[in-house]
Order: sequence, then C-alpha cells, then structure tokens
Amino acid sequence: MIKPICVYACAVLLLSLPGAPASAHPHVWVTLHSEILYASDGTVAGVRHAWRFDDMFSAYALQGISHAKKGHYSREELASLAQVNVESLKEYDYFTYARGDGKKLKFNEPVDYWLEYASPALVLHFTLPLKAPASAKALQVEVYDPTIFVDFEFAKEKPVALSGAPPQCELTVDLPHQPTPAEQARLSQLDFAPLDASSAYGEIFANKMRVTCP
Amino acid sequence: MRTVIDHKRVVAGTLLAFSLALAISSAHAAPFGPPHPTGGAWPQSGIAAWIFAQQAAFYRSLSGFIRASKDDGSAMWSLFGISFLYGIFHAAGPGHGKAMISSYLVANEETWRRGVTLSFVSAAMQSIVAVVIVAIAAVLLGATAKSIGWTVHLVEIASYGLIILIGLRLLFVKGRSLLFALRAFRWREPQFEALFATSSGLVKLSVDRNGSMSHCALCESDHAHAFHCHGDDGQEHHESAWGHAHGPKPAELAGAGGWRRGLSAVVAVGLRPCSGAIIVLIFALAQDLFWTGIGATLLMGLGTAITVAAIATLAVVARQTASRIASTGSGAGMLFMRVIEVGASALITAFGGLLLAGYMASEQLWMFTG
Repeated sequence: MIKPICVYACAVLLLSLPGAPASAHPHVWVTLHSEILYASDGTVAGVRHAWRFDDMFSAYALQGISHAKKGHYSREELASLAQVNVESLKEYDYFTYARGDGKKLKFNEPVDYWLEYASPALVLHFTLPLKAPASAKALQVEVYDPTIFVDFEFAKEKPVALSGAPPQCELTVDLPHQPTPAEQARLSQLDFAPLDASSAYGEIFANKMRVTCP
Repeated sequence: MRTVIDHKRVVAGTLLAFSLALAISSAHAAPFGPPHPTGGAWPQSGIAAWIFAQQAAFYRSLSGFIRASKDDGSAMWSLFGISFLYGIFHAAGPGHGKAMISSYLVANEETWRRGVTLSFVSAAMQSIVAVVIVAIAAVLLGATAKSIGWTVHLVEIASYGLIILIGLRLLFVKGRSLLFALRAFRWREPQFEALFATSSGLVKLSVDRNGSMSHCALCESDHAHAFHCHGDDGQEHHESAWGHAHGPKPAELAGAGGWRRGLSAVVAVGLRPCSGAIIVLIFALAQDLFWTGIGATLLMGLGTAITVAAIATLAVVARQTASRIASTGSGAGMLFMRVIEVGASALITAFGGLLLAGYMASEQLWMFTG
C-alpha cells in the first residue's frame, strides 16, 4: 500500500514543480568585453560594454531593419535599434551589478551607445556612468541575467580592461563556468566583499570583474 | 473492518502529500517577489543542470547546421535530428505547457490515450503558430523584431487568459462536485460499518444514523468500484459520493463532450509559440532557408510532444493510482478525489494568473528588441 502512495506523491511533486520556477533558459548568448572607466582623480566613473550577440539572435534583431546594401548595416541604419536596446535594458538594470567595498553602486542611463554589425553578429556598445563617482578599495562588477534568458560570457581574449585606473590597482576576472583551482584560491583571497545572501541563482553564472586598490 | 481503517489512513496520507506538494509549489511561485523572476527557485540538482546544458548545446548548434544546409543537402537531415533532440530536452525543462496539461489530466478523469493525443496536438499547434506568425509578420509584412515580439506577447496574453478561464471553469465544476461529495459523505456517514468476505466477494454492512440497515456488495464492473447496495426498502442504490448528490460523475465529464473541453486546453497551451522556434525561423529566413526552418520547427514540436506525452502519461497514471486507492476507501476516498481535482484546478488557475501577471515570466523576446 505504501508503494503506490509514494509513486503518487512523487508524481504530484514532479508535476507541481515544472511550472513553479522561472521558466527561462538562454535564447540569447552574449560575449562581452568590458572596460572599467576611472576619472582623473582615481575614482571609478563607470563601465563601458561591448556585447556581441550570437548569430541567431542577431538575425532576429535585424529582422525588418531597412538597409541599403544586402548583408550590410551602417551605424545610422541601426541607430533606432540601438535606442530600443538600451531602453529595454533599463528594466533589467543593464544586467550590470556593481559593488564598491560591499555597497551597491547605482548607474545612470547609458551614454555613447551604438550598434555595429560585424557579420554575422551584432555588437552593442554602451557606457554606463555611475550615479556618483566611487572610490572603492574593492570594486566588483558582475554581469549576469538572473532569469538566465541571456547567457553572458566573457570574451576569450582581453575580456576586461581598466581605463585610467591608478597604477597600483589590480584586476581579476572570474570566469563563471569553470574556474580553475588556482583562480578559485585567488578568488577566496581577494574576496573582501561579503557574499550577498539575497542574490539570485543566475549569479552563479555571473561574470565577475574585481579591482583591488591599496 | 481493519481494511476500511487502513484505507482511510492511506487516503489521509496521500492527501497530506498532495497538500504538501501544493504548498511547496506555491512557495516556489513566490507571487509577491519582484516583478521579474529572480530564478532563485531553479532546481540545482544534477539532472536539471544536465538537461539545461544539453538543450543549450543543441540550440546553439542549430545555427551552424542551418548555415551548413545551405550548401550541403545532407546537413539538413542532421539539422532535423538536432531539432528533434532539442525539442525533447527543451520540453523536459521547466515550462507551463506540460504543467498545465498534466494538471488538466489530474483534474479530469481522462484516458491515457487522450492525454497523449492532447500533448501531441498542443505541441503541433505551438510549432504551427510559430510558423504562421513568422510567415505573416516577417515574410509577408517585413515586420521588425519589435513588432514580432509584440505579436507574440499579445498571443501569450490571450493564451494565459484562456488558461485562467479554463482553470476557473474547472474550479467551478470540481468545486461543486466537492461540495456535493462533502454533503453526501456527511449524510451517509454510517454509524456502524463492517466488511465481510463472503464467497460472492466483499460485502459491506452498514447502519446509518436513522438506523436503517443496508448491505452492499463491491461491484467490480462499476467504473468507480462502488458498493452496490440494497436498502431496507429493497430498492437498489449505488453507494458513491454522487449517488444522492445529482452531480455529474467524472465518467460523464470525460465523455463525448470531453474532447471539446480537451481542445480548449490544447488551444490555451498551444497558442503560445516557443521563442526559440521564432528565432530559429527568422534566422533560417535570413539565410534564405525558410522551408528548412519550418522543417526544423516541426521536428522540434515532435520532440516536445514526446516529452509532454510522457509527462501526461505520468499524470494519468498518478490519477488512476490515487483513484484506485481512494475507491477502496468508500465515501472518504471519493471526497479525496474531489479534493485532488479542486487542487489541480486551482493550480491551473494559479499558473494562468502568475503567467499573466508576469511573475512567472517565460521567455521574453522583447528583452533587447523593445
């Protein structure tokens, strides 16, 4: 008698679960290059992104965009799409989460944004200025989608750069997928900021940039 | 006598498991969270992660195969194979389609065959809707991703609205049978009840509150395994929760008109196209391979149908198992089945509501395109 109950209870549990969690999974892949911008006084001013979309999503986004030459899109032809991109990203906090010495840093609306078509992919360029310049000993910038609809991945070569940072600052880049044991060890040493307990699951896929300045 | 008590305990245990499942699932839905899901409830188990990785890998390889099939006809068959596998894995991940269909099957006494058919029809419809949207919007009208995203969004809203309507209708029907069952159960609760094993099978002797005595024989032929009773008055009664309640029996609900109701569930689920299919179709269109894209989309649908049908089968078996346990527990068992049905109907309504409110957001095509 116990067995069928188990079967039934398990089945009900299984059936109840599928609809429960956020039912997203990646349909958009982004390869990112980021640059952390510093002001002349050594404070952090913002982040400049270059996001390369996967070719399928690029084709989707380009659907119906009028262009003079087949297979070519100029920056002007893509201007309205770039506008739509950054506007719709606002709702998702630009998928960019920054912390200075453990405190959340807020961004203003993006500036200097444009789309570039590098066949077969679209690249979105934009700069996120910080609301207030931050002077942090430990800066952490993460890029991820908590809903896992967009899969962010650092570019293989030179994914992150510092622009105008004080010379003694040190940059560490954490790859989300398979950190090596060495990176893991380094990560734990550099981890000044406490882990945010309320952070979403997507964070385990986060692309982390950390800058430590003495 | 012992058997009766045992069954009641069993029924109570199963009921507890069901309410627990309901409580867990509603906790996962976190309706008062932020307007967009944080995905915090994503199962972190190995299997879920594996399915997640597999479908992502299949999906990402689609673009390469579509490109390759431009020059090489045989690559098209690989594309179709991968699309089929993607469909199987895609449907195994979380999604409201199969949650809705399985809840529907738990709420209604449906056959295995009907459950499988509903799964296939809804998956086929999902693919066809994707093809029709892209064919009209992109091929004929040259619409932008933004307008296609909005079209999909409107269709989604219609789909979620329909899910709520179906859930509410089921809640009404099933809630009414629950009330009937409750009343009948209270009214017929016997003062004394005994089971005797005789040469002709199980015989139940019960004396109700009015002191009238009836003896019942278990009718195996009856769908609900009801006790066949002869009262003091010599008239025949079928002792079941519906016997005196004039409510429709589930067998009647699953009858001829059931197909029409099943179809409404299929339409509600199948109306919403998979965003993956839309993207694949538009990508294929950009490569001047729209027909190949259609083939890939239909095969994705076939893969999805197989997974959903498997889950639907599980739902039907689960319901039948519960029904078998419940039917041996006399009135309490019937009551229990009604409670399950009301629970499943409430789940459907909740799915619809959460989806419509955007708390259980699915795939958002307008994330970058407005």
